[in-house]
Amino acid sequence: MAGALRLSGVTRRFGPVTALDEVDFALAPGEIHGLLGENGAGKTTLARVAAGILAPDAGQVEIGGEPLGAGGVGGARALGVSMVHQHFSLVPRFTGFENVALFDAAAWTRRGMGSPGYRERVEARAEELGLEVQLDVPVGRMGVVERQRVEILKALMGETRVLLLDEPTAVLAPQEVEGLFAVLRQVARAGAGIVLVAHKLDEVLAAADRVTVLRRGRWVLTGEAAGVSARELAEAMVGAGVDGGGGGVGGGDAGGPGTVGGGGEDVPKSGGMVGEDAPKVGAAGAEQAPEPRAGDDVEVARLRAVTVSTGGPIPLRGVSMEVRRGEILGIAGVGGNGQRTLAAVLAGMRRPDSGEVQLPEEVGWIPQDRSEEGLVNEFTISENVALAVHGSDDYRQGPWLDWASVGETAAALVRDMDVRADSPATPAGVLSGGNQQKVVTGREFLRSGNLLVAESPTRGLDVKATIAVRARIAALARSGERPPGVVLISADLDEILELSDRIAVMVRGRLIPVPREDHNPTAIGERMLSARGDAAP
Amino acid sequence: MAEFGALSSFLVAAVGLAVPLALAALGETVSERAGVINIGLEGSVIWGALGGALGALALGPYGGLAAGALAGGMAALVFAAFAVWLNTDQIITGTAVTIGSLGFTGAVFQSRFGATGLALELPTVPAWEVPLLAQIPVIGPAFFDQAVTAYLAYLLVPVLGWFLFRTRRGLSLRAVGESPEAANSAGVPVVRTRMLAVVFAGLTAGLAGAHLSLVHTGTFAENMSAGKGFIAIAVVVLGRWNPKGVVAAALFFGGAEALQFALQAVDADLPYPLFLALPYVLSLAALAGWFGRSRAPEGLGSAWPRG
Repeated sequence: MAGALRLSGVTRRFGPVTALDEVDFALAPGEIHGLLGENGAGKTTLARVAAGILAPDAGQVEIGGEPLGAGGVGGARALGVSMVHQHFSLVPRFTGFENVALFDAAAWTRRGMGSPGYRERVEARAEELGLEVQLDVPVGRMGVVERQRVEILKALMGETRVLLLDEPTAVLAPQEVEGLFAVLRQVARAGAGIVLVAHKLDEVLAAADRVTVLRRGRWVLTGEAAGVSARELAEAMVGAGVDGGGGGVGGGDAGGPGTVGGGGEDVPKSGGMVGEDAPKVGAAGAEQAPEPRAGDDVEVARLRAVTVSTGGPIPLRGVSMEVRRGEILGIAGVGGNGQRTLAAVLAGMRRPDSGEVQLPEEVGWIPQDRSEEGLVNEFTISENVALAVHGSDDYRQGPWLDWASVGETAAALVRDMDVRADSPATPAGVLSGGNQQKVVTGREFLRSGNLLVAESPTRGLDVKATIAVRARIAALARSGERPPGVVLISADLDEILELSDRIAVMVRGRLIPVPREDHNPTAIGERMLSARGDAAP
Repeated sequence: MAEFGALSSFLVAAVGLAVPLALAALGETVSERAGVINIGLEGSVIWGALGGALGALALGPYGGLAAGALAGGMAALVFAAFAVWLNTDQIITGTAVTIGSLGFTGAVFQSRFGATGLALELPTVPAWEVPLLAQIPVIGPAFFDQAVTAYLAYLLVPVLGWFLFRTRRGLSLRAVGESPEAANSAGVPVVRTRMLAVVFAGLTAGLAGAHLSLVHTGTFAENMSAGKGFIAIAVVVLGRWNPKGVVAAALFFGGAEALQFALQAVDADLPYPLFLALPYVLSLAALAGWFGRSRAPEGLGSAWPRG
């Protein structure tokens, strides 16, 4: 019989980035299928392609055996697909009822809104699903949990064959997650196939019948939820090979496509320096001071019991750390566990609610979202460089900016970082993602006399650019008399292992140090999962 | 009865001046509800005036009204092709369409009628007196002894109110204006909706222009739109994106203009342009939310790239 949903060889690109690379995916009626992967692995893109919101560049989408073709959202909807989005799918000024009705042709008669009995049907459906919603309140005035209920109600008003949920648990507290899963099980029992997009393992394992893992736009594995271990999944997600020095993780061909530069101890090219240095760092645990390389035991930054609980989805809970000159402190973890908040604190962009922060006056910061936070796309490379250095006396002549010096610096940056641009006068927006990242990296090096915070510095880059950027970061921490300390925040375990002198894992806003002898994928992966039994938030 | 007479003639003038504003603003309300601010509305008005003049010479006054609406719609289609289809900046595109339209209509007019300055005489659209209603003292003649354009404006108020707030297409259109992302994910064709909304505004603005040449003056002159399109955009703001409010705001602006003419006639001590400025002050106050919390559609002016 026909599956609920089948994707065959689906490829979707965004400019130079391939978000989905010949992915196959099958969903059976009545199953809850967890779709796992890191940020940027292509989960959301897959769901949006299945919902007809994005057209695939290649490949086929079939719903209940019918090809979706160029049907778009309307076509997918007619075939019984609906999607619960993470963002942007409710109109804030419209009431709950209006938002539901907007989506559902059954709400309307030729003469206007309110086909007879529709309101009652919405109320009945909400009650049947146990979704408590105030239908006459504008969605913009609802809390996030109630908004999600509207979103789910909206998705389930019509006949639903496939229900796609994009990170539905990201906004929920644990008890609420249970409630959501109860709704999903009920919908699945009624025969619909459900795709649950998430990047938190424990949640998916709690709800799903089967799981599929994507990494960097490629399919990695599919299996029964009961038959795969959390560890296998974690390794499949972050791309840590089980072939390295990891030590006997059974099963699961996790070292599949998409990894950059191999895994574990098998350190390629740019990692040479780290390899040489590694023995010197020696047996120091993360708690103790690692032996400083250049005999320069200077602390450049220190956090003590830093807690951030307001204004963001992922809090920090009592994070303590210090960064010394010439070391790279790697912070691993599944994305969305507080890394971005930590980066903002380290970059001086975020004041903690409590705890002590000591930072150098100027911090180099390579943000994760470089095109939004890193560069002004309309500015030239020189102008973007000027933004970072205009406070420095080296680039001033009296009250004026010394454009000649800025230009020289920008030209040197283009040359040194191997930026593929015609000249420093090229607008940043026309550069490829990799070259933009090189510009940001080079520019932030200028500011990182004491501390550099690099947040997923190679995310979305191709292999060559990845190697180049990693080599630069490694070299920076070993440069000159007074090298800066580097905090490398990355979800890519290979990258962490390749570059770091010390490693800590970020889990649910806590920072867990990893002693030197545990610097391998298996041991780190266990710590990434350790919060499963940990005190819940 | 003398005061009544003065009041009555003031009201007649006010309604006459308000009709083109109301027509253009009602169309623009639909366009802005769909998220497109059409600064090119002034261009549609002037094309409507010229189209009305040419159409009336060929087909008579009612043919002229239709031709004027069509001409305004065409100008709006040009704007929509750029600002909606090609996603150019709405404000800049609208300004270009307005300035271009003022130039082109002047050129067409001169090539057809020469630059002699001789006033063109056009067949005008007669007023229709509504039986009974026109007999109501004071307001009767003002509201119920007008040309067909006025009655169209009256009719549009409930029709648009019903469309925007009671129909699925209306809800979809408002969703496009509030949040194109949400509308798209609900399967609403954002680009098509916006194109149609803008062209509709062009049609009504063109009709407003034809009203100027065929009802108000019976002639065409270069630049005779005289900022009516821009004022209509202010009317939409003061009317808070709601057909009923918009028609009231149009009457208010029309009244201010009529008062200004009346004051010029009686040679009062007040500098009369002050009354032209008053509605704008109120528009700013409306924007700032002094008359309640109704704000512009959230997606107003936002781009929506195709594909």
